[in-house]
Amino acid sequence: MVTNVLLTGVGGQGTITASTILAQACRIAGWEIKKSEVHGMSQRGGSVNSYVRFSPLEQIASPLIPEGRTHVLVAFEPVEALRQIGEVAPDGVVLVEERRIVPVTVNMPGFSYPDDVLERVLASGRDVRVISAWATAVELGEPRAANSVMLGALSLLLELPEDAWSEAMRLVLKPKAVDVNVRAFEIGRELVRA
Amino acid sequence: MAEHARDLSKTLLLSGNEAIARGAWEAGVRLGSGYPGTPSSEILPALVALGDVYCEWSVNEKVALEVAAGASVAGARCIVTMKHVGLNVAADPLFTMAYTGVEGGLVIISADDPSMHSSQNEQDNRNYARAAKVPMLEPSDSREAREMTMRAFELSEEFDTPVILRPLTRVCHSDGLVEVGERQEVGLRGDLAKQPEKYVMVPAYARKRRVEMAERIARLVALAEEDGGLNREEMGDRSLGIIASGVAYQYAKEAFPEASFLKLGMVWPLPPERIRRFAAQVDRLFVVEELDPFLTEQVLAMGVAVEPVDESSRIGELTPARVREMVTGEKQPPAQAEAGLPPRPPTLCAGCPHRSVFLALRRLKAFVTGDIGCYTLGTLAPLEALHTCLCMGAGINEAHGIQKVRGHEAPVVAVIGDSTFTHSGITGLVNVAYNAGVSTVLILDNRTTAMTGGQVHPGTGVTLSGLPGRELDFEKLADAVGIEDVRVVDPYDMAATEQAIREAMANPRPSVVIARRECVLHVREHPPAPQLAEDKCIRCGRCIRIGCPAIFDGSGEGERPMPRIDAVLCNGCMMCAQVCPVDALIVPDAGEGDA
Repeated sequence: MVTNVLLTGVGGQGTITASTILAQACRIAGWEIKKSEVHGMSQRGGSVNSYVRFSPLEQIASPLIPEGRTHVLVAFEPVEALRQIGEVAPDGVVLVEERRIVPVTVNMPGFSYPDDVLERVLASGRDVRVISAWATAVELGEPRAANSVMLGALSLLLELPEDAWSEAMRLVLKPKAVDVNVRAFEIGRELVRA
Repeated sequence: MAEHARDLSKTLLLSGNEAIARGAWEAGVRLGSGYPGTPSSEILPALVALGDVYCEWSVNEKVALEVAAGASVAGARCIVTMKHVGLNVAADPLFTMAYTGVEGGLVIISADDPSMHSSQNEQDNRNYARAAKVPMLEPSDSREAREMTMRAFELSEEFDTPVILRPLTRVCHSDGLVEVGERQEVGLRGDLAKQPEKYVMVPAYARKRRVEMAERIARLVALAEEDGGLNREEMGDRSLGIIASGVAYQYAKEAFPEASFLKLGMVWPLPPERIRRFAAQVDRLFVVEELDPFLTEQVLAMGVAVEPVDESSRIGELTPARVREMVTGEKQPPAQAEAGLPPRPPTLCAGCPHRSVFLALRRLKAFVTGDIGCYTLGTLAPLEALHTCLCMGAGINEAHGIQKVRGHEAPVVAVIGDSTFTHSGITGLVNVAYNAGVSTVLILDNRTTAMTGGQVHPGTGVTLSGLPGRELDFEKLADAVGIEDVRVVDPYDMAATEQAIREAMANPRPSVVIARRECVLHVREHPPAPQLAEDKCIRCGRCIRIGCPAIFDGSGEGERPMPRIDAVLCNGCMMCAQVCPVDALIVPDAGEGDA
């Protein structure tokens, strides 16, 4: 079967880097993989979606996840989680970072950041896990490792060997960033196990 | 670690763009040229990183194609990269290169952008293949992107023609596994023999080449009829037959895995006999294609009955669900959409030097003719200070046109980025000076091609391979074309920026203002974020209205605005502090902010 993971976040947050680590881990495990996103104008603080599809055996056709068939949504920001919630299958899982990034549009009339954003994600009927990835990474002394906390949480839902993940991080990240991200990844696993 | 069936060192995860670069490299390409444009921008950097290939960011796409035309005449395999609208710029050489043909294989990458993720239109460049009479291949994923690029070089040399490869955003920016091989060293073909009847397209010679071109197309059709590598039949359930190419094929395969397919790798010219044969083997026949009915109309013209699809499917990119709708005619219920969420459009970055320019233009109530780049975002609220954006280089000429009919009283300013200015703004500036124009041209010089990912250009004085190049001096250039009023300002100094623009606009002679400050994404160390002295703040909201993503309104419902600065996002440009009327935003180490 093909597993569909949608990673969503805000331009500049490292969403595409995180999806590349996932895709490389699949490659290292010998799996088939397709991944798709949009660059350019869509970055610059805008919403970013990265679609990752993989399978131990099957060929994968579409680079986009078919509508409503996302198995795991990894959201690096709560409003972005809510924006994509309709793409998640009814029995799908949502991993959502609790830290908010408020878009500039709230400074314009008619828009506001919903106070109950996490409650609405939790009420979606999906299996939702709220993760303090940012706060965890700040404690580690490297806020930019927050995405690795989220990937650690994701790794418990997938059947990829753990060393495929660490090898992928070594491949994708700058050498000096590897250790702290591997630690953040391990903490992410513990957070969800707990 | 588990044992792998694959050799991991030869099975790489590559984007479509990286796979095109890899295919070109393996095919022995000797020269790569292009101009950055989403979604094509990563091809040349990937190629130059593989080594052994001369690559350059040319000044624009026309230049890039002509550089490659020369290298091809000299016998080298060449690749030229651009986005779909880039081929408009390069169309002039393209249409005649179809006559001259090539010596070394020449492959043009036209990266199209259905849904306009990062473009001003969604033109379907398959029409160029038919109009210019140049064969076009369309890969559907990274694996095919490598293979088809390699094949395109062979076809180019065998058929003596440039070949266009048309990947879409969903191929360029999708990653997949690619089995890679070694580089094949291909020498220079021929000996630079002088062949005016082939390469000098005066009417007498062009008429002969026109006939040869027709013969070449006939041979290409024969190839398309036979070749199993370019086009292939996948016979499944014969109650439904689908003709498709490119990523649309992948969506159709996802939606109807059991159907029979005629998968076209070469979308022009088409194989009529093969299409008729396929059609005869299936009960119902659909053509699934993104954008124009390019294949559909040709298949219909072959006398083959194709089932009609809803015209709405011609706009924007397809998805598996949209393909399902096209074929079944049944509307799928849309995914549940959450109401009341604040949109998150792209914005100018925190600390972007362009912001102060647009704030000044807004205060000066200027009519701003814009151009293509990050600064096009200046049109969005709350800045709303950019009023036209047509194509690369258009802004200067539009300003000139407006003032030719409305006079100098019209408060018009042209805004253009440094890379766009070198691409096609220089000719406009020459035109303004030559034709006694009055326009003010604002060059937003952030020392990079920012929107496409930060590529170098002549104004940076560094080349694609990282070597020093001759740096284009904008001030001297403006002077040389005859602009007497040339000013340079630091856009982080908001008062000086506004004053320079005001004075330039008041000058009845043409003027250039260069707002020079490095792109904030390229700056490694940023000054600290300002802190809000709450006792001083009069809650006027001016700092919030500059539209910086690091400042949001922390006030409650019905309260006066209260700025909150996100110190992580802030890059310390201090524009918010400059618009504050009571100096309530203070640099942390400036004394008053001591905690």
